[in-house]
Amino acid sequence: MSLLAPIISDNGTGFSKVGFAGNSDPSFVFPTAIATRGPASQPSRSGPPVPSKPGNLASKRGVEDLDFFIGDEALANAKTPGYSVHYPIRHGMIDNWDHMERYWEQTIFKYLRAEPEDHHFLLTEPPLNPPENREQTAEIFFESFNIKGLYIAVQAVLALAASWSSNKVTDRTLTGTVIDSGDGVTHVIPCAEGYVIGSAIKHIPIAGRDITQFVLNLMRERGEMANVPPEDQLRVAGKVKENYSYVCQDIVKEFRKYDSDPYNMFQRFTGEHSVTGRTYKIDVGYERFLAPEIFFNPEIASSDFLTPLPEIVDGVIQASPIDVRRGLYKNIVLSGGSTMFTHFGQRLKRDLKQMVDRRIENSEHLSGSMMRSTGVEVDVISHKRQRYAVWFGGSLLASLPEFYSYCHTKAQYEEIGPSICRRYQIFGSVN
Amino acid sequence: MSNVLRPYLAAVRSTLTAALTLENFSSQVVERHNKPEIEAGGSKEVLLNPLTISRNENERVLIEPSVNSIRLSIKIKQADEIERILCHKFTRFMMQRAESFIVLRRKPIPGYDISFLITNFHAETMLKHKIVDFIIQFMEDVDKEISEMKLSLNARARTVAESYLSTCAVTNFHTLANADAY
Amino acid sequence: MILLESHNVIIQTTVAEKLAKPSALDVQFVDYDGVRFHLSTPNSKTVLLLSMHIRCWDELVRYGALDVLKREYGPWLSEQVEPEYNVSLEIDLAQAPQEGEDRDRFIKSLSLLKRHALAAPFERAFIAQRSLEDGASSDHGELMQIHYRDEEAIYIQASADRVTVFFSTIFREETDRIFGKVFLQEFVDARRLPALQNAPQVLYSNRDPPLELRQVRGLKDSEDVGYVTFVLFPRHFTNPDVAYSTISHIQLFRDYLHYHIKCSKAYMHSRMRHRVSEFQKVLNRAKTEVATTERKTVSGRTLVSR
Repeated sequence: MSLLAPIISDNGTGFSKVGFAGNSDPSFVFPTAIATRGPASQPSRSGPPVPSKPGNLASKRGVEDLDFFIGDEALANAKTPGYSVHYPIRHGMIDNWDHMERYWEQTIFKYLRAEPEDHHFLLTEPPLNPPENREQTAEIFFESFNIKGLYIAVQAVLALAASWSSNKVTDRTLTGTVIDSGDGVTHVIPCAEGYVIGSAIKHIPIAGRDITQFVLNLMRERGEMANVPPEDQLRVAGKVKENYSYVCQDIVKEFRKYDSDPYNMFQRFTGEHSVTGRTYKIDVGYERFLAPEIFFNPEIASSDFLTPLPEIVDGVIQASPIDVRRGLYKNIVLSGGSTMFTHFGQRLKRDLKQMVDRRIENSEHLSGSMMRSTGVEVDVISHKRQRYAVWFGGSLLASLPEFYSYCHTKAQYEEIGPSICRRYQIFGSVN
Repeated sequence: MSNVLRPYLAAVRSTLTAALTLENFSSQVVERHNKPEIEAGGSKEVLLNPLTISRNENERVLIEPSVNSIRLSIKIKQADEIERILCHKFTRFMMQRAESFIVLRRKPIPGYDISFLITNFHAETMLKHKIVDFIIQFMEDVDKEISEMKLSLNARARTVAESYLSTCAVTNFHTLANADAY
Repeated sequence: MILLESHNVIIQTTVAEKLAKPSALDVQFVDYDGVRFHLSTPNSKTVLLLSMHIRCWDELVRYGALDVLKREYGPWLSEQVEPEYNVSLEIDLAQAPQEGEDRDRFIKSLSLLKRHALAAPFERAFIAQRSLEDGASSDHGELMQIHYRDEEAIYIQASADRVTVFFSTIFREETDRIFGKVFLQEFVDARRLPALQNAPQVLYSNRDPPLELRQVRGLKDSEDVGYVTFVLFPRHFTNPDVAYSTISHIQLFRDYLHYHIKCSKAYMHSRMRHRVSEFQKVLNRAKTEVATTERKTVSGRTLVSR
């Protein structure tokens, strides 16, 4: 039975990625949403939705807390009377433990169909997660689910591990800068030897959702959206973003290219009305390269956040200890769906390289041209598994034979208690 | 509250109120230290006589006063092994979160299920009679909670068993109907 | 979700996806009771290979699992079994039924692979019962043993008027053992309800194996072990549809029990969270309110008390 693959569960703010170690893709990707019977339907009840007051007739049945849906089913049931949808994770951290526990319960038993007693689990946490959260997680997994062993990994470190699958990577290091861009927010996280440098982390309020909104605005301005039904517009914008966008090397040239040869550069998108089934056609133009451009020139979309991504990355690395900076420049790893644009990595590398070279030139000049720098290597790593990089990194690490020795086992948990989870061994470290 | 419970809680309340006469008291053993004497136990002369209030052989409260701290330990009623495990789970869950319960001890005294440690600093920053209220409320509610948990566990078990077996029974009904039709 | 479903969701979703859009694939996953699956496209994108490893395969084969699988899957059943697995299905996507109900049924039947394999001994017992009833020589059929988990097993025996299914259960943890006892007791008692008169009779014994199992060797003797007995009467399996659903349910009994033990623990956790936060509120009332009026000097600077 010890042969059973560990379960990897990466619960993000928007989506949860769950599956078994050793696979290249998660078995399930669904929204981190849970639809429960809201308290609205039972006004006699007070307190949180689950623990019902004594004497309530409904509680006599005793299993009303099993009446819920998760993931896509939760959203599908959002409109069913009596149900209300909750998102148990906020800003990457678990906000509602009751919902989260039940969410895991159904993930394991309904979707994965695994007996948790037979499996090791690898869970993920955002950087700077308070240790109390880990303890609560461990409490749930060891006490409710009796799992065999648990490892809680920091998402950024897993993203670094995922980049080992790229053929550009020769040494398997856990030092590097992770740019993790999901639906809600983008983080730039420096890691040294598997440890996150917490003081240097930066967040950027631009991510997938903002890009979609930006695409939508552009298309509305051009009047393309006129024949798209209003309820479909956001979805269409998302499709356009995912399927047609790319990062250009020079905006001005790109604009000129489009103007000189619009027929070839403009793409046609055909959609279908979700209710009537009527098809509509729209032209996709400048938004193809303008969408991802907001990472590099945020001023085209927002007025309150104006620092381009390469500058932020540079700042993060400069804020890290000096002896790891070379490693951080050399290994910049992309993770998350919003880094999937074609040529995103190349553009980032070019801009960053320019910045670094300029700084070196400047310091050489200031030293009176007496000293010559050997230069700093800048490299941005894109790989095929970028979209679910965190999950994939987990799958990679958990399929290593030594994974089991890094886990905390149930016996250890019972001996020491939840505080055992304050400490986790970094992969590849000695003891 | 049942009539039997009331005198018990009243006794705990008045004893605890009387015992909560604490003063700031520096350690006599280590210079510039200030320790809860009941825990340190370094100097015998500042410890007062401990007192046990028993409702019956399964439920009792131990109050150990000293000059600057008192320790109160509760043995919670456990009638059968279900209540025992539920009580154990509940107290452990609470002690796991002792940080936010200021007066809660992370480990109970041997022979008891849960212990509280109230020092003079607690008595200074918090209202004394409200601390007593909290302890009494806790004693009242914990019994109720455990028996409710037990009830709900039984109710759940019944529903679970019924729904499992009814899948067979319902289809059976079907068969009978079919048999009639034939 | 109260009842567990008997089909595997991963097989269902993956196969449906591949039918719509064939592409290369290589995934491994599990099902209850340590069953391992491997779904891959080793040779061409349109031929799926679904392999299953099940712990008690040899026993199942002895009780006719291959026949059941042949009946269910016919030509799909592959001659070549993938190494490390027990049984393989080769599914040519090009020959799969057209979109619609047929296809759904086809996908569903694939996702029931584990159920069908485990159904064999049950079906055999049902047949044995019929022959015993017709006055065969002995009054008891063979006691079939299926060691479906490391420490737990299912025993099935046919008699002249009934089929008895025994589960040996083991609880590794104290809480589980006690919760499990409560649940099993309710299974025993539930039959008293008028609505459930027709349900199979359930018996539960802790530690001591039932009479029929006494002669089985290698039974564990410890406080953690329990035995659950289901007595199935002909009315539970003479009609093929009923037999089908009876088998599906009985197979999943252990998982069902453990699922609900875990759910109860989760429910207890949320109750405790609620109660602890209530206690917290009571304690917070004890805290004296610190006067928050700001004191200022003449020049407008604030005084901060340490």
